[in-house]
Amino acid sequence: MAPTGAPTGEPAGAPPAVELRGLVHGYGGPPVLAGIDLDVAVGRVVALHGPNGAGKTTLLRLLATRLRPVRGHARVLGHDVVRQAHEVRTCVATLPVYGGAYGALSGRENLRLGVALRGGGEDPEAVDRALERVGLGAAADHLVRAYSSGMRKRLALARLSLADAPVWLLDEPYAALDEQGQELVDALIAAARDDGRTVLVASHDLPRSLATADAVVEIAGGHLRVMARPTRATAVAATTSAPVDGEGDA
Amino acid sequence: MNDLHAVLWIARKDLLQEARSKAVTVATVFFSAVTLGVLAFAFGENPLLMREGAMGALWVALAFAGVISAAQSWQADLEDGALEALLAWPVPRAAVYLGKLLANWGLMTALGFVLLPLAGGLYGADIGGGGAPGGGGETAPALVVAVLLGTIAAGTLGFALIAVFYAGLTANLRARESLLPVLMFPVVVPILLAAVRASNALVGSGDLDLAWAWLRLLVGFDLVYAVVCLVLFRFVVEA
Repeated sequence: MAPTGAPTGEPAGAPPAVELRGLVHGYGGPPVLAGIDLDVAVGRVVALHGPNGAGKTTLLRLLATRLRPVRGHARVLGHDVVRQAHEVRTCVATLPVYGGAYGALSGRENLRLGVALRGGGEDPEAVDRALERVGLGAAADHLVRAYSSGMRKRLALARLSLADAPVWLLDEPYAALDEQGQELVDALIAAARDDGRTVLVASHDLPRSLATADAVVEIAGGHLRVMARPTRATAVAATTSAPVDGEGDA
Repeated sequence: MNDLHAVLWIARKDLLQEARSKAVTVATVFFSAVTLGVLAFAFGENPLLMREGAMGALWVALAFAGVISAAQSWQADLEDGALEALLAWPVPRAAVYLGKLLANWGLMTALGFVLLPLAGGLYGADIGGGGAPGGGGETAPALVVAVLLGTIAAGTLGFALIAVFYAGLTANLRARESLLPVLMFPVVVPILLAAVRASNALVGSGDLDLAWAWLRLLVGFDLVYAVVCLVLFRFVVEA
């Protein structure tokens, strides 16, 4: 099913940052995503909201090339997540829900590994600045296995901030963080928007999503619907597999 | 970043983790020593049987230790979703495989070099002694030792090629500990047979010609397995 509108706020002819068409995915039972369509314009922040098991993480993993769609297509900046997986990976930086760091390495070593493998070159000062920014300067050389879950999440945020990727996929970025840490996430998202990045945030924190995102999309029963457009009217083109409520008719 | 750089970073990461945890080192050294000891006890007091069985016992110990090493190397990647994060980066899948292979091969080869004199002493096998009476030739001891070390390096490479591949394949399965040896040992048998024969030819008689013949076969298997594993590995880790 085609979307009911096209994204705006970007040059004519440029592909959307995220484009889903008839996307279906499941794990053997009823599909978690039952044929969803979505366009996210470049430079927008979109929050994905929904109950546990609704498919938020599944959607982010599909976009990160860690799952293959059962049917339909997903594209990131015009690159197909199946046929052009490597190109998609160069465009995307992820914040996994569990942090994704190696426990036997220090925080600094984890960041250096991430920067090196993403092809960012070696810049020790950038790594130090990122660690300071997330409040881990003093714990930079401690092994990650000694970090609390909040510190691990902060380390993942530092790694994200070092990734020079135009699309960010954040899975529960506020989980395990104290108030200061949550404000740090908000600041990073705001900075990403200012830099022209596109950010998809899966979160249960609806008030925070409403405050930070350009649009909030609810996932439930395998379908999407635009719940609200807190700040801007052009973030999301459409979700057409279920009725779009209120003004979310784009 | 070039692919070689990625390979080295991943190998460095695995070796650094092992240097800190020593999980593989402790388990494989202990297990190998026990294996060599039990087999020496089983051979009894027959010196000929002991000498002829020395290299077989060495490769049995290395094979079992190699399974532990490969399985453990993927285990660390599964904690806290680290592998998931790694595979979401633009890293060539072949680089992930080669990095882990390099680290595993290094550990197995080092273990083989440590176990070789241990097996020689325990089983009364004259490693580097050149030709034995009635053997195939009188060869310089240094050359015999060099070829023997080369045989260990080539044999552990072939073993690690298969072990890392299948350990990656089974890493996310609940029954990985039992599945890994069942899947990999039938494939790795040619490597083990060639390695045992080449080693025996060197230690038993210093017969370099016979050793070279088995070593060529061993290197041939290494090349075939390297190509097959490199081509297929992306299907192991891709969604």
